[in-house]
Amino acid sequence: MERLVIAGREFRSRLLVGTGKFASSDIMAAALDKSGAEIVTVALRRVDIENENDDMLAAIDRSKYLLLPNTSGARDAGEAVRLAKLARAATGINWLKLEVTPDPYYLLPDPVETLKAAEILVKDGFVVLPYINADPVLSKRLEDVGAATVMPLGSPIGSNRGLKTRESIEIIIEQAGVPVVVDAGLGLPSHAAEAMETGADAVLINTAIATAAEPVRMAEAFKLAVEAGRTAFEAGAAAEAKRASASSPLTGFLRDD
Amino acid sequence: MDVLKINGKEKEFTAGQFPATLAELLEQLGVEAATVVAEVDGDIVERENFARTRLAPGGSIELVRFVPGG
Repeated sequence: MERLVIAGREFRSRLLVGTGKFASSDIMAAALDKSGAEIVTVALRRVDIENENDDMLAAIDRSKYLLLPNTSGARDAGEAVRLAKLARAATGINWLKLEVTPDPYYLLPDPVETLKAAEILVKDGFVVLPYINADPVLSKRLEDVGAATVMPLGSPIGSNRGLKTRESIEIIIEQAGVPVVVDAGLGLPSHAAEAMETGADAVLINTAIATAAEPVRMAEAFKLAVEAGRTAFEAGAAAEAKRASASSPLTGFLRDD
Repeated sequence: MDVLKINGKEKEFTAGQFPATLAELLEQLGVEAATVVAEVDGDIVERENFARTRLAPGGSIELVRFVPGG
């Protein structure tokens, strides 16, 4: 499997994993380990000053994983930029999953605000990985302002519905000059394999692993599926045909005619 | 009574209890400084500057931290 390169940095794994929704930090840590992921996402929220807060970062081995803070909760470019700067101050990391999702029902990303924020953040030295709808034109616009990847959704966040945007994602992959990371909605390893076979450079999975009956085993299943899908893409798919084409010799049958 | 707005909520401090610095405020709140990022009146304060960031009554503080997310 070829290495994934984002913003000049090489990764062996093509599976990015989100840390949300796990039943415990221990399960999260074990699932991250089994997934083989090298990039993991985290969110930023206000400290609850009335109650004790868990330090979730304690469960993430920073020497093994690149933390990718997201701007979840941002409703416009201004809020996203503010979250980005706080995240950078917290970690010293300038990598950022940019997400601007004003719509509370489908959590669909706002393309105008996302592009605006990406432009500001790239100029400010951030490595920006924007979460977007599967829009090939927006992808090119983001690439033009210096986004490090594009991260089109397969279906709405947490919906586990799979690669519903496949045709648009194929166009994005065909035209992209930056890595394409399919983010959101992939619910099964077969969905992840499909995205990788299509030529996506990576996928980001959270809900499908974290809310599986056995998240650690599901993390492993996604790892294998991503590797299988990518290897298949690199190997080049065999041609499709409408009619059968025998795999066994058509001579030497045990009959006389 | 002196007041600070912390994460959008007003908190009152009795005389003599008002924290002089951001580091003192975190200590009073029982929040471990190593795990948070702070904004004072809209400006981000780097962690190494918590102890020398002076607070004034009426100020607005945001304390944020990393949480699980996708």
